[in-house]
Amino acid sequence: MKTIIEPFKIKSVEPINFNTKEARINILKEAFYNPFLIHSDDVLIDLLTDSGTNAMSSNQWAGIMRGDESYAGSPSFFRFKDAIQDITGMPEVIPTHQGRAAEKILFSILGGKGKYFVSNTLFDTTRANIELTGSAGVDFLCEEGKHPTIPAPFKGNMDVAAFKKFIIEKGTGNIPLCIITITNNSGGGQPVSMQNIKEVKQVCVEYNIPLFIDACRFAENSYFIKIREKGFADKTVKEIAQEIFSYADGCTMSAKKDAFANIGGFLALHNSALTLECRNLLVITEGFPTYGGLAGRDLEAIAIGLVEVLDEHYLQYRITSIEYLTNKMINAGVPVMQPAGGHAVYIDAKQFLPHIPVDQYPGQALIGALYIEGGVRGVEIGSLMFGKYDAEKKLIPSQMELVRLAIPRRVYTQSHIDYVAEVIIKVFNKRCEIKGLKIIEEAQILRHFTAKLQQIDL
Amino acid sequence: MNKIKVMKYKTKRSWAEPYKIKMVELLKMTTATQRKKALQEAGYNTFLLRSEDVYIDLLTDSGTSAMSDNQWAGMMLGDEAYAGSRNFYHFEDVVKKVYGYKYVIPTHQGRGAENILSKILVKKGDIVPGNMYFTTTRLHMELSGGRFEDIIIDEAHDPDSEFPFKGNVDLEKLKNLIKKYGAKRIPYVSIATSVNMAGGQPISMKNLKDLRALTHKHGIRIIHDMTRVAENAFFIQQREKGYEHKPIREIVKEICSYTDGATMSAKKDALVNIGGFLAVNDWDVFEEARNIVVIYEGLHTYGGLAGRDMEAMAIGIGESVNDEHIRARIGQVVYLGEKMIEFGIPIVKPIGGHGIFVNAKKFLPHIAQDLFPAQTLAAEVYLDSGIRTMERGIVSAGRKVNGENYYPKLELVRFTIPRRVYTQAHMDVIAESTLRVYERRNQIKGMKMIYEPKYLRFFQAKFQKL
Repeated sequence: MKTIIEPFKIKSVEPINFNTKEARINILKEAFYNPFLIHSDDVLIDLLTDSGTNAMSSNQWAGIMRGDESYAGSPSFFRFKDAIQDITGMPEVIPTHQGRAAEKILFSILGGKGKYFVSNTLFDTTRANIELTGSAGVDFLCEEGKHPTIPAPFKGNMDVAAFKKFIIEKGTGNIPLCIITITNNSGGGQPVSMQNIKEVKQVCVEYNIPLFIDACRFAENSYFIKIREKGFADKTVKEIAQEIFSYADGCTMSAKKDAFANIGGFLALHNSALTLECRNLLVITEGFPTYGGLAGRDLEAIAIGLVEVLDEHYLQYRITSIEYLTNKMINAGVPVMQPAGGHAVYIDAKQFLPHIPVDQYPGQALIGALYIEGGVRGVEIGSLMFGKYDAEKKLIPSQMELVRLAIPRRVYTQSHIDYVAEVIIKVFNKRCEIKGLKIIEEAQILRHFTAKLQQIDL
Repeated sequence: MNKIKVMKYKTKRSWAEPYKIKMVELLKMTTATQRKKALQEAGYNTFLLRSEDVYIDLLTDSGTSAMSDNQWAGMMLGDEAYAGSRNFYHFEDVVKKVYGYKYVIPTHQGRGAENILSKILVKKGDIVPGNMYFTTTRLHMELSGGRFEDIIIDEAHDPDSEFPFKGNVDLEKLKNLIKKYGAKRIPYVSIATSVNMAGGQPISMKNLKDLRALTHKHGIRIIHDMTRVAENAFFIQQREKGYEHKPIREIVKEICSYTDGATMSAKKDALVNIGGFLAVNDWDVFEEARNIVVIYEGLHTYGGLAGRDMEAMAIGIGESVNDEHIRARIGQVVYLGEKMIEFGIPIVKPIGGHGIFVNAKKFLPHIAQDLFPAQTLAAEVYLDSGIRTMERGIVSAGRKVNGENYYPKLELVRFTIPRRVYTQAHMDVIAESTLRVYERRNQIKGMKMIYEPKYLRFFQAKFQKL
């Protein structure tokens, strides 16, 4: 059969609010050209993020009803712990209200002034939490990963040689952690190969640096390994995931992605002394160690979601549906990240809008145009999110200017995706009319969430 | 004023629940041998018991409430959009209407709000006066470099005083602090309604008004720890002149009107299993909070909560200020307390809003405070019948910044009653079981601590029987 169907049917629906293009022009202006400031009721197709926006299964909803809300020692926690141990093989499991809280705890212990956290690519909140401790985050993405429109199978790989060179330069004592993000979100949802993880692990062992996995989309990454890497075709996705985690000393995960949950995250690790320190911090900002700031029902939903995500019919459907939209873009000549990633389509805004210089935020400008045209909400992953200023207040731009259209899991149908493609193509055909933006108000850290912008008239 | 009746209702009707049961959760019964083993494995710390080994769980009223069918319906209306969820706007609207604060930011729970507030307002060397400490609240002040100073009236530290408003502030104590340190070093006064560590004791409206006048004079903010504000309002309605005929809703709003901002754990009064918020009237504080909430909690329109949880919280806040609800809530607590008094068990008086606080110093006078009488009593009550309670004494008080133990005057075991969860028959079992332990109190020996965590030690400490 050529057509790949969803391995589920719909049990509960949520109506979409329709509005007019004229209304959206105003809404966007009032939201200062920042999609994070638009009310969700004013959005038709919400591709802002795949985080927490998943449709849970009927089994997960049954878990929600079963949640034991005891403050301490809830059986929901023990089911949650078992599910995580089964996949990661890590003995210590710490729940947190979401992924960034797990990162915050880990980095407050390991970070500090003058230290370097190395990675293939750190995500925005991960980087912010590292920098808050006074440490620096350093990315070593492989060369293929830096060219959006040239396809390669594992564009999320880490540049092992550069990593090794850096260690020798800075000394192992200043590198508390190496973090591999699977899949590489900021770099287009691109996977990391098992071979690369093994090589990174070897370097880590050689220089005695712990290896952690940022595991938000571990199942999507495992599936890519199965279909693209030699020697894994006959393994189950679960076996592949277990092998990935076997190379790691610990992991953080936002369960709002591959665990199909609307809220939740965790930290899992081997080192029991470090665990004790983490739990000491956990009780201050998150909650008691057996709930970590989550309702018991959410622990249940995560435990069930972690089993569901490893179903290969689901993963085949998931990856194919991202490919479907990516291919439509390629056929229409829209510059997108190739090959298709695991959770989103990434448009290369630099190529899409060559007339807008990077200091006028072409990615953010494109976001606005897509919203006005069809009520589609995406997010900029470029200089608004990662840009910094030099001493003269001049923008140091990000390496890439991308627009991410993240597809929530199990939420939108093929006709929704067809509509999105039409909107993008329509905008592409009149791209010359799109204007650049300037920032009129911004926060010091994570500015993209709350920044206010204004259109620059030509 | 000294001798007040435990509870005087406006009408003679009993406190029967203004709801019926829609869904149940089955309980497991355990044997004495099973309980002995479970407790040993938990290091004699009730926090470390598995909830499956517990029959009646009185560890906390936090997050353990039964939601209403309306709240469950709200759970199905969750809009899980990352930004601008409609549940946020509903929640924001309710907070403004019911509590009257101008700006609100959701957080995953109360301590998330405390963390953000302390980071913004408390600087190194600051003094934060308050009506008795609470564990997480004080720790957040200390981690920001501040120091907590207790300004609660002396009666609060006397478990036998029947003063009706043991949550009141001693204004002289505050004046002395202002004189000693200067108003500039006091970023705010922290006021809890009702005071958990004092036994769920209320603050009076008059005291709050006087405090407002004094703080206004010196330009000091009042930040409201409002997790049980509705319960406090009920005591004002029952005990304070001029409020007998005012609905709880109005009293709650008046309380909030004398303060400049609040941290809320919605897991108590607001009848949810998860959630909290930070509310302020000051735009600058709000703006700063909105910028940092995204680092620790989540974007300011979800603050680390699922959309459905914001919806359940919005509906729960409305239900919490209903007169019939709060009357039945506290009626049940008082029913249990009166039974214990009848049995001669020493408890904190007057009976508080969210639980019964048994006076362990009096219950086990032969055990020195260093040998953890309250921790011991909590363990014994569990052994008797599988009832889980919580220590609120020397273990909870922890250590000072210089490493010395705090020796709190109150050495209590808290029997916290979850909202809308247990029946009158459960209350009877609790009282009877406590009586059985009381009858063999002379045979009970103290404990020693064999593991002590760095922060909030009561959560994870382990003990051994002597």
